[in-house]
Amino acid sequence: MIGGTLIAYRWELVKLVAQRRTWLGMLTAAVGPIVYLLLELAQGPPGAPLANNLGHTGVGFALVVFKLIAVVGPAIIVALIAGDIVASEDMEGTLKTILTRSLRRGEVLAGKLLALFTYLAAAMALFFVVSTVGGVIAWGFHPLLNISGSRLSALHALALDVPAVAVYCLPVLALASFGLFLSVVTRQSVAAIGGTLIYAMALQGVAAISAIRSAHPFLLTNQFTAWHDLFQTPTASGAIVRSLWVSAAFALPPLVAAWVVFNRRDIAS
Amino acid sequence: MVQVVRDAAGAPIEARRLTKRYREVPAVDGVDVTVLPGEIYGFLGPNGAGKTTTMRMLLGLVRPDAGTIRLFGRDPKEDLLAALKGVAGIIEEPRLYSYLSGRANLRMLADFDRSGVDRAFVEEVLETVELRDRAGDRVREYSQGMRQRLGIAACLVRRPRLLMLDEPANGLDPAGIRYLRRLLRRLSADGITVFLSSHLLAEVQELCARVAIVAAGRIVYEGEIDELRARAGRRYRLTAAALERAASVCAAVPGISDVAIVDEHVTFAVDADEALLALTRGLAEADIAILALVPEQLTLERVFFELTEGPAERETVPA
Repeated sequence: MIGGTLIAYRWELVKLVAQRRTWLGMLTAAVGPIVYLLLELAQGPPGAPLANNLGHTGVGFALVVFKLIAVVGPAIIVALIAGDIVASEDMEGTLKTILTRSLRRGEVLAGKLLALFTYLAAAMALFFVVSTVGGVIAWGFHPLLNISGSRLSALHALALDVPAVAVYCLPVLALASFGLFLSVVTRQSVAAIGGTLIYAMALQGVAAISAIRSAHPFLLTNQFTAWHDLFQTPTASGAIVRSLWVSAAFALPPLVAAWVVFNRRDIAS
Repeated sequence: MVQVVRDAAGAPIEARRLTKRYREVPAVDGVDVTVLPGEIYGFLGPNGAGKTTTMRMLLGLVRPDAGTIRLFGRDPKEDLLAALKGVAGIIEEPRLYSYLSGRANLRMLADFDRSGVDRAFVEEVLETVELRDRAGDRVREYSQGMRQRLGIAACLVRRPRLLMLDEPANGLDPAGIRYLRRLLRRLSADGITVFLSSHLLAEVQELCARVAIVAAGRIVYEGEIDELRARAGRRYRLTAAALERAASVCAAVPGISDVAIVDEHVTFAVDADEALLALTRGLAEADIAILALVPEQLTLERVFFELTEGPAERETVPA
């Protein structure tokens, strides 16, 4: 199983690298923070956690942007790739080519899932690097005041940025899992990409309903701010742990459903 | 020469009562097929007859609703990968990654085969299908013929013992078709069994000794192609000055049957050359000029009508 998955994974990466839409997503991840940085320089800091550091230090700029792009930013990148990763092969007919070789369907799907997660992690990493470098160029590499108002050295803050990005990625991967599920069941790239975006919007819509405030901590959208734990004094972990299992709870059902459908369905296109 | 072994045990393909329905409409309805080692087997039928669905079932892409499949004696239901070992196929047309090069496509599929094929073998296969010069180009830049050849290369990197090809001549120019025939004969000579699906009898009769004809999801004929020719009979088409009188002369000659006037010709079946000789004498004696007397090409359409609906509707001439 592992050997076959790794073969599929390696070639999925090769395929992603060879496709234009992959680079479009990467470009969005790279250009987004720069555009936002220019807006910040023109308009002044927004009302977001750590935003009061803008103008004083570039460290933490990525996290400010994370808060402001909320669910929509990653949803666009996720939808572009996750929605397309199986559906495009269905539409192009290449699925029948690879499914008559010597890899099991589950191995092919697992390879695609790993490649999808790798791509998203790479996009987030690029986003982080561009944001941080841009922020440092604009405001310098100086100490940062965390959410509790404590002063962190620039290096300490930068070291915390990395796990914060990883925590931010958890709900992004859950969103990607749903995109993959839609890609498998709809067999249509447009439907899967659009469906993933609508799903993200719907999650945000649900999070805005005040009547279910007590359920908010368990909504996927709320997990996008779990990294705040790392920038509090003392450092907390409750929200991060919750983000782990809530994201898993949102990711697993669509993944299991995608697995079952992909393994059982006829490839008749 | 193709060696036909009558023992079907461990045959490359052995399908029994294969059935697939889509929304209760049978696409394949109780199909029995046995393909023997080393032969080029023709699977003939018009579009929509169920050929592609049958092939999809054989390759494990579609689950049959009923029936059994054995590939080299192995049941795909028990272990699909084991059953597909040594089996390669192209369904409809080769679908490869247009944004990758031909070479990258083959290397990927070789990796997916997990057969330990090295890069040198991929180059060898590219050479075989005469694509080595363009192997570094992206597939989207290939012509239809080149894609077809790359599709066959994608099968060959699997080192198949059984090759299933669905309408491989589609979209090929005459040179491409000639190349394909030459290649399939060579592969067959190398011991590879070929299962060739087509709607063109001419394509199949060039290559195959045995065929199955499928219509509306059912096998309406399976056997030697020579037997099929014999069943259809030797038919001729006569163009003469006085058509109706010529038809009457034909009908009166012993050994000539099934005389009909179709368009501006008289068509008839002949059971021996002597009948033709008698016909030309008869026409001369009746002072009827023969403008043309040519053998009728056996068409798939005609065979279908013969096998599934009886003789085609035409104006018949009583003997």
